[in-house]
Formats: sequence, structure tokens, C-alpha cells
Amino acid sequence: MSVQITASEGGIPHDTLMAVGLIGSIVCLYLTYLNGATGTDVFSFFGGLAAVFALIWGTDTIKHLCSYGIGTGVPSAGMIAFGTGVIAMLLATQFDGMYLAPIMAVVIGAIVGFVAGFLANNVMNMNIPVMIRSLTEMAIIGAIVIMGLTAVMAGGFGFDALSVTMVQILGPLEATSYASSLLGGCLIAVAFMLGGIALQHPFNACLGPGEQQDRTLMLAAECGFLSMIVVAAISFAFVSMFAAVISLIVAIAGWYYTYAKYIELSRRDAYAWLNAKPILEPKGEA
Amino acid sequence: MESILLGVGVTALAGALATVAGAAEDTESNIGSQGDPNSQVQLAPQMGYIHRIYNKAVSGEPPAYGLWVTIGAGVAWAFMVTGMNPVLAIVIASALAIFVQGAYATTAYLGRTASLNKFEQPVYIDLLKSVTTVTMAHAFVAVFTTVSMCYLLNAALGHPFPLALLGIVWGIALGAAGSATGNPFYGKERQYQSQKFGAGVPISASGNIVRYAEAGQRSSLDNGWFTGKLGGPASGVCFGLIVFLELWRTVLFEEIAGGWGAIIAGVLIILVFMIIDRYVEVWARKNYGPYVKAEEATA
Repeated sequence: MSVQITASEGGIPHDTLMAVGLIGSIVCLYLTYLNGATGTDVFSFFGGLAAVFALIWGTDTIKHLCSYGIGTGVPSAGMIAFGTGVIAMLLATQFDGMYLAPIMAVVIGAIVGFVAGFLANNVMNMNIPVMIRSLTEMAIIGAIVIMGLTAVMAGGFGFDALSVTMVQILGPLEATSYASSLLGGCLIAVAFMLGGIALQHPFNACLGPGEQQDRTLMLAAECGFLSMIVVAAISFAFVSMFAAVISLIVAIAGWYYTYAKYIELSRRDAYAWLNAKPILEPKGEA
Repeated sequence: MESILLGVGVTALAGALATVAGAAEDTESNIGSQGDPNSQVQLAPQMGYIHRIYNKAVSGEPPAYGLWVTIGAGVAWAFMVTGMNPVLAIVIASALAIFVQGAYATTAYLGRTASLNKFEQPVYIDLLKSVTTVTMAHAFVAVFTTVSMCYLLNAALGHPFPLALLGIVWGIALGAAGSATGNPFYGKERQYQSQKFGAGVPISASGNIVRYAEAGQRSSLDNGWFTGKLGGPASGVCFGLIVFLELWRTVLFEEIAGGWGAIIAGVLIILVFMIIDRYVEVWARKNYGPYVKAEEATA
């Protein structure tokens, strides 16, 4: 899809959004550790909220990067963010025992993203001024989103939580199973695709001369909650019924609110809002 | 012998499912104006052509279908782990995937159209209601059949990949088959070129999409009728053949030479197709050739 990219000016500055997204998502990821502290898994839904924070920040990053006229690059930007992010996320799960996984996801994501951006700009000679910074941000975002969605599914993001599940055999007997765990079922692929499309969609869907920042960011939140609905449905296989239902309710409520708001904002920005009316020819000279 | 017979049967069934999936996928994306016609639909209001065509740009078709099928496969897998009947799990998971698809489709149409307010392109709510539901129905057929096919590979043929991974691989393949095979059959003449057949796409005609149908104003639903004739079946045959040949060579030749048999068969199939492609290309060039100067032009 090669369409002209036009980004709006003004609105909340990118640095502010980055600060809010980074701090908000890390705080939410740390809140999922309440699961371990309280011995339940009802706090898994904070992972989904972390993903929403990160996606709002990421949408603005993509807008900055793509305002340099990378025609078909908007969907690809989502993919590279998650391709680099998944490496950082999986490495960071090794630091879960020290409660460092969210911080390490940011650090490793920054390193991987910087390398990808450096290669794109200096080796492939793309020479886009914001490329290195944007790819660094997007790798961090990818790592945080996958980590957040994983936390919703599995109730945590330690390597054990991802790779081992207890399966009941013959009633009271339990056995460990690797095949039916989150990694064994390759559900990271679901988190990858959910995040990758959710990250690129808001700007890709709203681009044009009438793009408005508040509407685009509202769509980013909507995509985040929509992704959360799916992972909440998957979480029925891994966490307790109660925790899964809470995640699902939070996701559906958040999705409904943001979707309704987004339609309202679209109605505000649209030239006209017509139902079963014929084609209106423009009043101008055309 | 029995396992080979079962394998061949499963292969045929998977190929049939894939054929249906390909046809539904291409019809869905053409009704929604996803894929390459999308840029002309987006451009049209800027050139002064206000239209009633759906403009759904979630992303390219391969990543978008990668997402829908992966959701279907992942959720179905999770439901089956909890002990749900596989058929029910696949149906519910596909329905959830289509809910996500519908949400993405409506936000894409509203977002892009609202951003074109400067060019006086209105949002048509009746389009949003009628076209979205039709694309969702087609997408359900495509996702359900593809996830069922992945489940067959896993459960009946013992493919080592977990369901979600098969979903991402075959979802992207499905989107690619529909995008590469189906779109050339329809978009150029039917949707975004209000020009005579074979006129090419002159730059001056950019954005001059077909806005009026034989009877009244055209909406994207008409694309379904047109795609159903050629583009959909072609995509179906393409994706069905990909799945069938891929499984067939594995089922029949895997036992030969310690697994190398299947690889050799795969290389042979590629060679056969390269020869056919070359023959068709040469035949088409000879018969339709480059444009020649009209004789009257020199007079």
C-alpha cells in the first residue's frame, strides 16, 4: 500500500508520550508481580494495561518515523518492532527471579533496537534522521507488549511460568507438561501478531491530511484492549478461572469505552456522517 | 500402507479446505478494498472523485491474515488444552478472530475516511454496516477452514509444529496467495480504473476509480460478485495446490531415503512449475506481445 503519508503537527509532544508510556508500562508490569506476592493470579490483567501504555507510545513513534515518507513502511514498522522485541523479551525472562525482567526488557530492547537502527541507517544507508532512535524505542515497545500480553496469558513472565504447566492426570495426580505450556504451544506467536498489527494499525488507519493525534492515540488504546481480549480468552488454559474472567472483563470494558470514544472522535473529524445517501460531488472546481 | 492411505485422504481434505479458504480470502479482501486497490481508493477523493467504496487498510493481506489465523489457531489450541471438543474450539476461536477482524475493519474505514475530510469525502454509515458484515462472513469461512486445515496437519498427520505456529505460517501463506493471485484478476479493470479495458493505468487517471455501477452507485459489495467469478477461484486453486502438493510430497516420499525423498520431490515439483511458468510466459508474449503502433497513427 503506497499512499502518501501525512502526519499532523502539534498535540502532546512525543517526549511526554514516551515518558508516560515507558513509566506507565513498567509500573503495570511490576504490578503483575503482586501475583507472586499474594499467591494468586488475579493481577495478571496489569500486563494488558502495560501493553496498552506501550502501544500508545509506540503509535506516536511510528508516526514520527513514518513522517519521513516510508510509503509502505507502516505495517513493516510494526513487524520489525516485534521481531527485535521478542529477542529482548525472551532474554529478559531470565532475570525474573531478581524482579528485574521488566527493566532488563527495556535495556536489552534498547541494545537490540539500537543495533537494528544502526544497521538500517549506516549499513543499508537509509539515512533517516530519527531511524536509530525510533527503532530503539520500538524494540523496547515490542518487548514490553509481548511481556505484558504474556503476563495476561500465563500469570507471569518467568521462564518457568512460560515453559511448564501442571497437567492433572487421574484426578489428584499432577504431572509437569512442557508441550501444553505457553512456549510449547507457541502462543508467543499469537502475542507477536497481536502486538505487531496493533502497533502499526492506528497510524496506518488514521493517516491523511486530517489526521488528529487524539483520535489516533484513542485507536491505539482500542487496539491494545482488543488484543487483550484475545489473550484473556487464551488465559483460561493457564490461570485460574477467576483471574481469567477478571482479565476478560477489564479488556472488554476498556475496549468498549475506547471503541465508542474512537467512533465519536471520527464523527467529530469526518466531513459528513451520512446514512444511505448518494455520492456527494465536491463543491469545488473538480 | 494404511497410514499412507490415511495420509493421502487427509491431504486431499486439507487441500479442499485450503481451496475454500483461498476463495473466501480473496473475496473478503476485494470487498473490503484491502491490498493493492486500496491506494487508489484512498487517493480518489484527493483527485475529486468522491466515492462509496469501502477503504479497509489493516495492513497488507499477508500480515493481516497472519493475525486472524494465528488468533484462531492459538485460541483454539488453548480451548482444546482445557478439554474442549476440537470442532467447537475451532468454531469459537474463529468467531473470536472474526470479531477482532471486524473491529479492525471498521476502525480502518472510519480512520481513513475521517482523515480525508479536507477533500469532502463523507463517512457512509450504511456502507460500514453492510460491507463490514459481509467481509466478516467471508473472513470467517477463510479463517475457519485454514485453522481446521492446520488442526488436521497436527492431529492426523502428526506435524511437529504447535497449532499457533502452523497458524502464523499458513495464515501468511493464505494472505500471500490471495494477494498475489486473486487481486490481478479484478482490481485493475473493475475497481480502480474507469478506463476502457486494456488502456493501462495512465498517471492522469490516478484515483479515477469506478464509482457508478450498471444500475446506480457502486459500493464494494459489487466487488464480491466480480471476484466470485475469477479472482476468488484462482486464489483458491493457488492456495489449495500449495497445501496439497506440500503435504502430498511429504506423505508419499518421507519414508524414502531417510527423509530426503520428500525434499527431492519438492525440488522436482518446483522445477516442473518453473518449466510450466516459462512456457506460459513465452506463449503469452508471442500471442499478446508488446503493444505495436496503430497503423492509422502514421497516416
